[in-house]
Amino acid sequence: MMRTVALVARKEMKELVRDGRFRVAGALVLLLLMTALAFGWQQASTLAAERAAAQHVAEEDWKGQGDKNPHVATHYGKYVFKPVGALAFLDPGADPYLGVTLKLQAHQQNLPQDAAARDQASISRFGQLSAATVLQLFVPLLIIALGFGAFSGERERGTLRQVASTGVRPTQLLAGKALGLAAVLGMLLIPAAVVAAVVTLQADGAHDATGGEVGGRLGMMALAYLVYFGAFAGVTFLISARAPSSRFALVALVGFWSLTSLVVPRIAGDVAVRVVPLPTPAEFTQAVRASLEGGLPGSAPREDRVDEISSAMLDKAGFSGAETLMDESALQGIELQAEAAFEDEVYDHHIGQLMEAMARQERAAQWAALASPLLAIRTVSASLAGTDFAHHRAFQVDAERYRKALVQAMNDDFAQNAGTAGWDYKAGREVWEKAPTFEHQPPGLGWALSEQALGWALLGLWLGLAWAAAAWAAARVRVF
Amino acid sequence: MAAVLEAQGLRKEYDGFVALQGLDLTIEEGEVFCLLGANGAGKTTTIQLFLGFIAPTAGQVRIKGLDVGQHGLETKRHLAYIPENVMLYPNLTGLENLEFFTRLAGRDELGETALRETLVEAGLAKEAADRPVRTYSKGMRQKVGVAMAIAKGASALLLDEPTSGLDPKASNEFSQLLARMRDRGVAILMATHDLFHSKEVGTRVGIMKQGRMVGRHATADLSHADLERIYLEHMHD
Repeated sequence: MMRTVALVARKEMKELVRDGRFRVAGALVLLLLMTALAFGWQQASTLAAERAAAQHVAEEDWKGQGDKNPHVATHYGKYVFKPVGALAFLDPGADPYLGVTLKLQAHQQNLPQDAAARDQASISRFGQLSAATVLQLFVPLLIIALGFGAFSGERERGTLRQVASTGVRPTQLLAGKALGLAAVLGMLLIPAAVVAAVVTLQADGAHDATGGEVGGRLGMMALAYLVYFGAFAGVTFLISARAPSSRFALVALVGFWSLTSLVVPRIAGDVAVRVVPLPTPAEFTQAVRASLEGGLPGSAPREDRVDEISSAMLDKAGFSGAETLMDESALQGIELQAEAAFEDEVYDHHIGQLMEAMARQERAAQWAALASPLLAIRTVSASLAGTDFAHHRAFQVDAERYRKALVQAMNDDFAQNAGTAGWDYKAGREVWEKAPTFEHQPPGLGWALSEQALGWALLGLWLGLAWAAAAWAAARVRVF
Repeated sequence: MAAVLEAQGLRKEYDGFVALQGLDLTIEEGEVFCLLGANGAGKTTTIQLFLGFIAPTAGQVRIKGLDVGQHGLETKRHLAYIPENVMLYPNLTGLENLEFFTRLAGRDELGETALRETLVEAGLAKEAADRPVRTYSKGMRQKVGVAMAIAKGASALLLDEPTSGLDPKASNEFSQLLARMRDRGVAILMATHDLFHSKEVGTRVGIMKQGRMVGRHATADLSHADLERIYLEHMHD
C-alpha cells in the first residue's frame, strides 16, 4: 500500500533531517560536490580555451607556412588538438591519461601525445577531486552512514518490534525507508545537479556539442547515478537487515565499500594488463618499422606492394600500359599516392591491432564490475561525459580520416598542378587555405549508450540483485 | 462473551530447552489475565507467541479466532503491545510518534486534535506532546504506549512487565488506564511481577513456573494477602 510507504518515508525523513549525523555528513558531501564542480569547471574551461587557442595557432601556422611543394608541406605536417567535451568537467574519466596533441603528417600515423597527467603532477592530484569522484566514492559512504542502522538500529532501540506489532508489511517498511533516504539525498543532490545542468547548458556555445545532445547526456548521467545509488542503498538495507548489530552492519558496509571501491578496481586494472598485454611504445614502433620495410606479415614486400597499388591506380585512371603518355609529375603524384596507400595499410593494421587490444583490455577490466558497482558506474559515467577510451578512439579515427584527406588533397594538387616543374613546383597560401580544416564531431549519445551497453547492464544487474536481496532480508528481519 | 486471545497446547522449545510446555489459555472481552512468575517462567515467550514474533513448536495461538501463524498481519490489526520499555523514535515528538504508529496501524481517521486528546487521556501532560521523546521519562513513554493502544482501537492488549521500574504513582496511574480499557471490553494479557496491581486490575491471575501454568485464580475470590501467600507457595518448591 502506497499510503504506508509514504508514511514510513515521511517518518524516516523527519528522523534523518533532525539527526546531527545527516546534517554534518550531508553538509560535508555537498561542500565537496560544489567545490569539485567549481574546480572542475574552472579547469575544464581553461583547458578548452588553451586547446582551442592551440588549434587556432596550428591552423594559422599551416596557412602561413609560405610557398612550398604541397607534398613537402605534408611532411612538415599539422597539429590537431583533442577538444574538451562539454561534460568533461563533471567526469574527466580517462582524459588526463590520454594524449591530446596529435601531429598529422605524410607517411606515418602518430599517436596522441602529451597526456595532462604527465606534466601536471601536482595539479592533477587536486584535479582528481571531480564531481564524479564525489558521487562515486563519497555519496555511497553517505548512504552507508545514513542507512546502516535502518533495521539493525531500530531493532536495538526496540522500535522495530513496536513497528512489527502494528502489522506493517516488511516490504512496505523497506520501501518507505528507501524512499525516505532517497528524499533526503535528493535534498542534497538535486540542487547540485541543477547547478551542474544550468552551468553546462548556459556555457554550451563554448563547446562543440549541441544543447540537445548535452541535455540528453546529462539526463542519462543522472539516471546512471540514480541506479548506482539505488544499488548501494539496496546493499545497505540488505546488510542492515541481516547484521546482528548496527556496529556489525557499519563495519561490514565500510568493508564492502573499501573492497568494491578501492581494492577491486585496483586489482581489476592489474589483471586486465596481465590478461591482455599491450606492446611497449618501443615494441610498437619496431613492429611498424619492420612492416614498412618488409611489408605486412603474409603480404608482399614494400616495393612489390607499392607497384601493385600504383598499377591498380593507373588502371583505374585508364592509363594501363601507357605510362609514357603521362607527364612526369602526374606520375609522381600517383607514385606518392600509392606509397601513402601502402603506408596506410601498414599503419591501419598496426594501430587497429593496438586499438583492439586496448578495447579488449578495457572489456576485461569491465567485467570486474560484477564484483564492484563502482567499476560499472565509472565506465558508464565517463562514457556519458565523453571522456572514456571509446570517445578517445573516435577522436583518433576522426583525426586519421582527416590526415588522409589532407595528404590526399596535397598530393592531388601536386599531381594536377605541378606540370613540368615536378618537385620544384610550389604551392602558396590559397592552396593551404583551400585545404580541409579539422573539426572533430564527438559521437552522439546513442553511440555512447551502445558502446557502454555492458556497463549499463552490469549497473542494472547490481540494482536488481541488491534490491531482490534487500527485500528477501527485510521479509526475514529479526525484530528483537 | 467472545474469546479474544486463545492458546491451545502451546509449546515452545529453543534448541532442546523447553520455554513453554503445553499452555492452554482463553481470555475474553473485558478480562485482564495477569501472568505471574519468576523470570524465565515463560511469560515473555507466551506474549511473543501471541505477537507472532516467534513461531510455536506445537499448539495454536489465535486472536479473534484467527491463527497467528497463518494470518500474522491481520491478527496484529487487533493487537496492541506494550513492552517493559515502550521504545519510540527519540528525535520525534510524542505526538509524532503516536501519529506514526496510529497511521501505521491503519487508523487514518484520527486527526491531530483527537491524537492530542488521546495522549491526555493516557495521562501525558498536555504540553509534553510537542517535546521530542528523548526528553521523556520511562513513565511518559509508557503512557504514549497506552495512547497508541487506545488510538489503535485494539481489542486485545499484550503487556510485558509494563510497570517495572515505574514509581508507585506512575504505576498506579497505569493500572487505572488498564482498568478503563478493560471496562471498554478490551481483552488484556499482562506479564507482571506486581502482585498488588494484579489483584487491583486483574480479573484472573495465572502463576507460571518453568514453562508451565501451575495455578489459576479469579482475583475476586482472593485478598491481597491470599494472592501473595499462594504465589510464594508456588515459588517455594
